[in-house]
Amino acid sequence: MSVKVEVSEGGVPHDRIMAIGLVGSLVAIYLTYLNVLTGTQLFSFFGGIGAVFAIWWGTDSIKTLCSYGIGTGVPSAGMISLGSGVIAMLLATKMGVASPIGAVIIAAVLGVILGFLSDKVLNMNIPVMIRMLTELTIAGALILLGFSSMATGSFAFLDMIAGSTTFFGIEVATYSVSLIGGSVIAVIFMLGGIAIQHPFNACLGPNESQDRTQMCAAECGFLSMIAVAVMSFAFLSVGAAILGFIVAFVGWIYTYMEYIKLSKRDAFAWLDAKPIREPKGGA
Amino acid sequence: MSALGGAAAGGEGINPTASVIGIVVLLIALGITFFIASTGGTIALIGIIIGGALIGFGVHFVPVGGAPAAMGQAPGIATGVAMLAAGAGLAGLFGGAWAAELGFAVALGAGAVGGGLMMAITCLMVNVIYVFGMGIPSASGKVDKDPITGDTFPQYKSQGTEGHGLPFISYVGGVIGGTLGGLGGTLIYLELLGVYEAALPILYNVPLEEVLPVAVSLAGIFAVGMFLINAVLTAYNITGTIEGPHDPKFKRFPRAVIAAAVASGVCGMVAIMVVAL
Repeated sequence: MSVKVEVSEGGVPHDRIMAIGLVGSLVAIYLTYLNVLTGTQLFSFFGGIGAVFAIWWGTDSIKTLCSYGIGTGVPSAGMISLGSGVIAMLLATKMGVASPIGAVIIAAVLGVILGFLSDKVLNMNIPVMIRMLTELTIAGALILLGFSSMATGSFAFLDMIAGSTTFFGIEVATYSVSLIGGSVIAVIFMLGGIAIQHPFNACLGPNESQDRTQMCAAECGFLSMIAVAVMSFAFLSVGAAILGFIVAFVGWIYTYMEYIKLSKRDAFAWLDAKPIREPKGGA
Repeated sequence: MSALGGAAAGGEGINPTASVIGIVVLLIALGITFFIASTGGTIALIGIIIGGALIGFGVHFVPVGGAPAAMGQAPGIATGVAMLAAGAGLAGLFGGAWAAELGFAVALGAGAVGGGLMMAITCLMVNVIYVFGMGIPSASGKVDKDPITGDTFPQYKSQGTEGHGLPFISYVGGVIGGTLGGLGGTLIYLELLGVYEAALPILYNVPLEEVLPVAVSLAGIFAVGMFLINAVLTAYNITGTIEGPHDPKFKRFPRAVIAAAVASGVCGMVAIMVVAL
């Protein structure tokens, strides 16, 4: 048993953050299904919103886990989260409409097993280990499913392995120009992994405050979403991809400004260092 | 290294009840795989389990220093277990994946050499920076004498530190760890690639050449995911820093081998289910 390091007191309880993150993420990912119902691709960006919800929730789970001295640094929690999440998510995409729910269930089973292995077999003896690794695995699976459905406009396995390319003006179906065939999923993996582990790693310390860490998480999520929006130009119509990019960019600008505000609030003092001015008439 | 400076967790010894439960979970995973993917899938899963156990064992050899090593207060490479293992193992995995067409043994060898080479270069440059950049000699804090070269350490060890630099035994450990990690990662990749190459053409009724990118990419992303899971579980076992095979913490490896085998078994079962269901 290790010493519990105190993190910020008060704030929103973890249970409420988990509920908001899980429900918000699932609802947003399911909203991408409007693509199928309406026959457009314009609703793809909801996948990215779902991933941001999952990142926001996962950050608080990492904070709860890492407030115990796990001895391996914060990034390792992000790596195991996405590493197990990708396995659950890829199997879940085979389930058709039930994919997001399936991802949660499969990830929960994997997460409980991994948590048991860490807590009992490896003798970590951390009270929250099993629960937090389960949450992190679910969050990892939802992040990947959200970003993947944003990039391709669908959360079905077949749409992720098959794409189409124009060959001398003729549309040809191909497996290599697709989310999985083109290994775009590996980029999404790292984008999600960095976004989930960075916020607490950056904000931890005696002056850590929950709203600032959570705002940093949302900011990282939208930053990754911008990159996914750029990748979605390869799979979606230009209009849908531009809409996703605008949503991600506006979200990122807003959360970034808020984060800077909160950082200034928590700072002891800050200096708005201006760029060095050129003297008039040249140096 | 704990980011928050909490005391390292993880007592010594094996928890027998939990280990037995873990092995039962492993056998259940094997049984389910046999049920849905018959003998071929089960053999592939056994390969994946061996690969995972190799990763779990290999990571214990890697000299991990964490943040204290960056300040010259502990021996080893100045980063966390998960990052180092991912760096070495993924380098090996890419090497093995590149050689996958040249046959099973060649690909495994290429993966092992790739991982070992990555760690050899890392350890060399770490020592160059320690010795010529930071001006500190290599001295282990856990043993008085290097088991291979016989060099003595105590007179070079600064007071108040746990040793510093990267002694020869740690260098050798790093190369062995990278080799085992690369071998394990490549083994997982090759087994999964075999399963997908056999199943995907039948599943989607297309020639293998067309669906090959999907098979390679699926096997690759699953291998990366499983590698990271095994590396982080091993990192949890080490809890922080380890100097290499001469460190007392090295004796904890049976726990990590059990945990990595069970985790690989369950994750491998899920990965095979993607095409078997």
